[in-house]
Amino acid sequence: MMEELMNILQELRPDVDFETETSLVTGGILDSFDIVSLVGELNDAFDIEIKPNHLVPANFNSAKAILALVEKLQDE
Amino acid sequence: MQKSVLDWLDLAACRFGDKTVFQTKENSICFSRLLHQSKAIGSYLCGQIMPRSPVAVLTGRRVDTPACFLGIVQAGCFYAPMDASMPVPRLRQNLEVLQASHMIVDREHLETATALHFSGHIHVLEDILQTPVQEERLAAIRRAITEEDPLYVIFTSGSSGIPKGVITSHHALMCYIESVQKVLQLSDSDVLGNQSPLDYIAAIRDIYLPLLTGASTVILPKNEFSMPTQLFETLDTYGVTTLCWSVAGLEVPAKLHAFDSVKPHFLKKVIFSGSVMPGHVLRVWQQNLPETVFINQYGPTEATASCTYHVVTETVQDDTVLPIGIPYENYRVVLLNEDGTETPDGQTGEICISGPALALGYYHDPVRTAQSFIPNPLCPQYRSLLYKTGDLGSWNEQGELEFHGRRDRQIKHMGHRIELDEIEKTAGMVAGIEQCCALYQKEKEQLWLFYTGEATSRDIVLHFRQEMPAFMVPRKLMKLSAMPCLPNGKTDMRTLLSYMK
Repeated sequence: MMEELMNILQELRPDVDFETETSLVTGGILDSFDIVSLVGELNDAFDIEIKPNHLVPANFNSAKAILALVEKLQDE
Repeated sequence: MQKSVLDWLDLAACRFGDKTVFQTKENSICFSRLLHQSKAIGSYLCGQIMPRSPVAVLTGRRVDTPACFLGIVQAGCFYAPMDASMPVPRLRQNLEVLQASHMIVDREHLETATALHFSGHIHVLEDILQTPVQEERLAAIRRAITEEDPLYVIFTSGSSGIPKGVITSHHALMCYIESVQKVLQLSDSDVLGNQSPLDYIAAIRDIYLPLLTGASTVILPKNEFSMPTQLFETLDTYGVTTLCWSVAGLEVPAKLHAFDSVKPHFLKKVIFSGSVMPGHVLRVWQQNLPETVFINQYGPTEATASCTYHVVTETVQDDTVLPIGIPYENYRVVLLNEDGTETPDGQTGEICISGPALALGYYHDPVRTAQSFIPNPLCPQYRSLLYKTGDLGSWNEQGELEFHGRRDRQIKHMGHRIELDEIEKTAGMVAGIEQCCALYQKEKEQLWLFYTGEATSRDIVLHFRQEMPAFMVPRKLMKLSAMPCLPNGKTDMRTLLSYMK
């Protein structure tokens, strides 16, 4: 699943090193339009529904955090 | 007589003194302190620079950025704000147009400023705020200012690949702010929530409405715009009553369903501009904030931000297209046919603007200035200028203006003006691109680039990220074995459009 997520992220922003980056939101690397696109693609690709209360930097600051959010929502 | 924004500042400092004018989550500044800081900066600059010269500004989203702008004005000069997050080549292009001999930068962005190889003097904002005020000298400079003197230069995309620096006078700015205040009716109890980067035209409302009305502005953290529930909580924390945002800024919370978890409770007025408001977005805002007044605005930087407005009284549907409304007071809007005659009501013509709020033109660019700011063909009896927007519109039966897109290849994306020609020129610099065509997918708000050649989409995006601001980076790239052509050899845009479905 990490691989699929990485593909989505790389496609979205090929200029960002998602392997190492841990402040995607707090560092301003992903802007609001990246987040809108990303949320849409995650919802479609993993059949989940990301809700507004999930939209906190802790869930989006790194690829690992995003993966954890996706896994959590898939379990629900 | 009020002839410059400094007269507003004096009056506001006198009336509102230690009331907060600008704040961030970290800092705040009151009206008196704003006045004092601007005088300190003015006193620092005035011995080194001739009045009516440009000063470049490279500072972040901080409360003393407006003080810096006003300090430059205290020295009799005009400011050219630049977004430090823009790529270095883009900033260099702006500086090349500006030919400034001085730049003010905050310490955080000193490294960026140094990388620009700026040939003039660089001053660090934090270091000059303590300069003793030279009241007499500043008063003499003030005496010599006229209201037609330039206040700022703001850069926008140019189809030739060279940015255009729109230069605006004190008079034009004051005309616009007074007109928008007539509609907004703000008081000193209002709080504005600033979304726009401070170097961008849309920020002039957040900077100058407080000077006129005593309201205050919260400079919202940029990061929160991608986490809209946090953003809404921040709006409530500061009791924000008024938003002057881009349509793009209102779209994000609606698309991410932010209203499902939290609602901003104090919002009374929301005024938006920058691109066409999709009905389904405004409907979300209207349904969640039934007491709030929404106002659609239209206008180019060349007419000082906005020239028409429409107060939304209808409940919008998904397919509602709002009119752009009636001219603000002190603005005149006419529609012209290609032969320079006036377009009859109901028919489509080019939206042209006259009145005292027109810009002084494009800085250092008499050719493009003369192309866009023309003698009014409907008024040969005396001297009157008309700005040709390149936008198409028509008057409806209610006497309101409706917007029908562009005459040329300019688009509006994420609240910014973009020339598709400029995207193609940038792409053309990538090794391995033979032919290319940039197009805009309006419904999905995606910037597309079609190309032929060996380049990979990664090469292209990386090149754009180095050269262009984020909003000008194509989101979708499609490599073609050959560019579709019409019989006359021109690119077949219709075929390309079908690829974007």
